[in-house]
Amino acid sequence: MRPDPGPDPSVAIPEPGAAVLPAYVLRVPTGPYRALNPLTKFVIAIASAVVAFGVRGWTGPLSILVVTAAIALIAGVSRSLRRFVLATIPIVASILLVNAFLYPGATDVLFRVGPFAATGTGVTVALQAVLRVIAFALSVAVFSLTTATDDFLADLERRGTGRRLTFVIGSAIRTIPTMGSRAIEIVEAQRARGLDTEGSIRRRLRGIVPLAGPMVFGSLGEVEERTIALEARAFSAPVRRTAMRALPDSSTQRALRWVVGLGSLVLVAVSVAGRFPLP
Amino acid sequence: MSVATGTLRLSGATYRYAGARHDALTGVDLELAAGSVLGVVGPNEAGKSTLCLVAAGLAPVVVGGRLTGSVTIDGRETVGMRPHELAQRCGILFQDPQAQLSGTASTVFEELAFGPCNLGLPLGDVIDRVEASLATLGIAALADRDPARLSGGQAQLVALAAILALRPDFLVLDEPTSQLDPQGTRLVGEALRDLARESRTAILVVEHKTSLLDQLADRVVVIDHGRIVRAGPSAEVLGDPALVELGVEPPPRVRVRAALAGAGLRTPDEADQLLAEPAR
Amino acid sequence: MIAIEVRRVGFTYPGGVRALDGVDLSVGPGETLGIIGQNGSGKSTLVRHLDGLLRPTEGQILLDGSVVGRRHVAELAGLVGIAFQDPNRQIFAGRVRTEVAFGPRNLGLRGAELDRRVTEALDMVGLAGTDEENPYDLGYSRRKLLSIASVLAMRTPIVVLDEPTTGQDLRGVARVRSVVAAIAAEGRTVIAISHDMRFVAETFRRVVVMRAGKIVLDGTPAQVFAEANWPALAETYLEPPLAARVGARLGVGSTPTEASLVQALTGRA
Repeated sequence: MRPDPGPDPSVAIPEPGAAVLPAYVLRVPTGPYRALNPLTKFVIAIASAVVAFGVRGWTGPLSILVVTAAIALIAGVSRSLRRFVLATIPIVASILLVNAFLYPGATDVLFRVGPFAATGTGVTVALQAVLRVIAFALSVAVFSLTTATDDFLADLERRGTGRRLTFVIGSAIRTIPTMGSRAIEIVEAQRARGLDTEGSIRRRLRGIVPLAGPMVFGSLGEVEERTIALEARAFSAPVRRTAMRALPDSSTQRALRWVVGLGSLVLVAVSVAGRFPLP
Repeated sequence: MSVATGTLRLSGATYRYAGARHDALTGVDLELAAGSVLGVVGPNEAGKSTLCLVAAGLAPVVVGGRLTGSVTIDGRETVGMRPHELAQRCGILFQDPQAQLSGTASTVFEELAFGPCNLGLPLGDVIDRVEASLATLGIAALADRDPARLSGGQAQLVALAAILALRPDFLVLDEPTSQLDPQGTRLVGEALRDLARESRTAILVVEHKTSLLDQLADRVVVIDHGRIVRAGPSAEVLGDPALVELGVEPPPRVRVRAALAGAGLRTPDEADQLLAEPAR
Repeated sequence: MIAIEVRRVGFTYPGGVRALDGVDLSVGPGETLGIIGQNGSGKSTLVRHLDGLLRPTEGQILLDGSVVGRRHVAELAGLVGIAFQDPNRQIFAGRVRTEVAFGPRNLGLRGAELDRRVTEALDMVGLAGTDEENPYDLGYSRRKLLSIASVLAMRTPIVVLDEPTTGQDLRGVARVRSVVAAIAAEGRTVIAISHDMRFVAETFRRVVVMRAGKIVLDGTPAQVFAEANWPALAETYLEPPLAARVGARLGVGSTPTEASLVQALTGRA
C-alpha cells in the first residue's frame, strides 16, 4: 500500500504567493451532488447496482429507482437520463417478451397472442427484471453524468492507484475518438480501392481483413512509438507522481462510503438468507 | 530558461537493433555543444531516426538493441542512465504530433505538466515549469485548449513545450515538420529559431527541408547507410554540389544558383539578396 | 478518358463544419492538376467527392458527363483511384503482391491479366522485385510508393494522389514525379494534393489554390505564382517558389521553376 497522501488538501491553506493552478485545470465541480468526491459517487453507484440486482422482490429495484431519481433531481441531470433509459429499450423488450411468454412451468395464463401464452408468473418476473435493469442503468447513468472521468482518475491517482493503471484507463477512454477517426480513414482507403461496403452481406464480410488489419497493425505499430514518447516524458520515474487536482473529501463522506457500501452488502446477504422483511 | 552547459558526444557509435542482421549506424562521431544547432540530412532509411534515438539515449536503454562505442552527456555514458534521467538531459520530438501527446490531458496545461508530475516535483515547481514552457514558445493562448483538437503545427509546439518542461540541455528533433502544412512548418520553424537563439539548449534536427536547416543550423552532417559521409558548417555542406548524388535536396537558394550556373548565366546582382545565405 | 466537372459544390460535415463552399472546377481528360492549400482548406474533402466517399450537400459532381449521384463507391473506384496520405491506414496484406492485387481484384480482374497489372504497377513505382516482401519491412518511403502502386494497378482513367511527397526523400519525390509523368503520358488524368510548392510547380500543368472551402486561384503554375497573385497566396500563408521570386525581382516575368527562370534569363541575355 502506498503511504498516506498527507493532510486533506481541501483543508490545506495555500502559502501566500505560491503558484496557483488555473481554474480550467482545477475544474472543481459545483452543485450539491456533483461536488461530492468521485469515490463517494462511485461507491453510491456500485451499492445501488448491488442492491438493484441482489435484493429479491420488488423493494430492491424500486427503492433504487426512487433513490436514483432523487439524486438525478438534486444533481439536475434528470433530462439527460432519458438517453440512458432509451438505451435500455432493446434489453427491456427482450426481457419482457422472453419471460412473459416463455417462462418455464408457469400455468396462470393472462392472454394469448397466436400460439404464445403470456403467464402471470412470467409477467411478474419480467417486470421485476426490467425494473432491475432500469435501476442499474440509471445508477450508472447518474454516476457518469455527475462525474468527469478526469476527476475520477485524478482522485484515484491521489489515493495511490499507481500511474500505470491510471494512465491505461485514462488513455483507453480518450483513445476512443481517435480510433474512430482512424477507422474512418481505413474504411475510406479500402473503399477507394473498390472494397464494397454498400453491397450484399457476403461482399461486406469480405472486407473484414482489409478493414481490421490496418487497424490492428497500425495500433500495434504505434505502441512502440508511444512507449518511447512516454519514456521520454519520464513516465517510469520511480517516485510518487505529483497529483495536481485534489478533489475535496471529508470524514463525513468517508463514513458515508463505508455505511452505504457495507449496508448494501448486508441487505443483499439478508435477502439471500431469505430474511428480507419487505416484498 | 536554465543556462545549458556541456556536450553531447557520440564516439565511434555503432548500433544494431535487436534481431537485425545489419548495423543501423556504423562508427558515428558527432558532437553537439551547448547553444549550437546541428542539422542532419540523408536519404530515407539511412539511419537518421536511429541516430536520433541513439543520441537521446533511448537506444538501447528503452528500445533495446546493441550499442558499441560511446554516447556521453557531459562525459557520462547514457547507457548507464535510467529513462527518466535521460528524459531530463535530452528531449526528443518525433514527426507525428498526436502520437507524442500523452492522450490523457484535457488541457494543454495538463499536457505540459505530465512530465514534471511524473518526476514527482512539488506542485509549485510543476506550475512554474509549465508557465515557463508556454512563455518560451509563445503558446500561452493555447493553455486551456484540448490537445486533441489542435492543428498539426500547434500540436507539435505543445509536444515541444511538453519536452522543454523537463528542462533538458539537449534536444533531438526527428523531422519535426514533415507531417505539417506550410503554416505549421513556419510556426515550428520560427519557434525553433527563437529557441536556439534565446536559450542555450543544444539542438540536433533531422530534416528533409534543407531550407529550414539553412536558416537554423550551424553545422550539418550527411548520413547515408548508417555512416556520416559529410560534416561541416551548414553553408558549406548544403552548398556542396555532390549533395544531390548523396540523395539530399539542396535548399532553394543553392538550387537556383546551380541552375543559373549550369546554364552559363551569371547570378544578377539584384537577385543576390534573395539568394544570399540566411543570417543565423 | 474522362472529364470531371464539379458544379457549385458545397459540403457541410454532419458536425456543422462547412468544408466546401461553392466550388466550380472542370478538369479535362488527361489533365495534370496540383491542389495546394493549408490543412482545412477543403482539398481532401474535395477529392473525396470524386469517388463518392462524400456526397455534396449542394451542387453536383459529373464524371464523363454523367452525374455521380448515389452510385456506389465500389463502382466509382473503377473510374477514380485515390491513394491516401497514410499508407499505414491502408496496408493489410502480408505480401506486397497481395496488397497491390487488392484493388484490381475488387474490380473483377483475375489470372494472367491481374498478374500483369500488379507487375506493371510495381515497376512503375520502382518496387519491382519486392513482390514477396512484407509491406511493413519496407521503409516509410517505399510503403508510400506501394500505396500508390496499389491504386495504379486499378488503371483508373483518373488518379488522385493525396500528399504523395510528404515524408519522401529526394529520390522518392523524383519517383513520384516520374509516376505522374507516366500516367499523364497514357492520357489519364492526375490530380495531386501537396504542400510542396516546388513539386507542384514542376510537375503539374495546372495549379489550384484552395482556402476556406473555396478555390481562390486556378491556372498554370506561371499564372498562379505570378507576382500579382502573391497577396492572395500570402493570405493563405503560402509562399511562391524561390525561382518565382527571383524572376519577379529581375523583371523577367513569372518563372515558377528553375528551368523557366533559366529560360527567361537566357532569352534576355
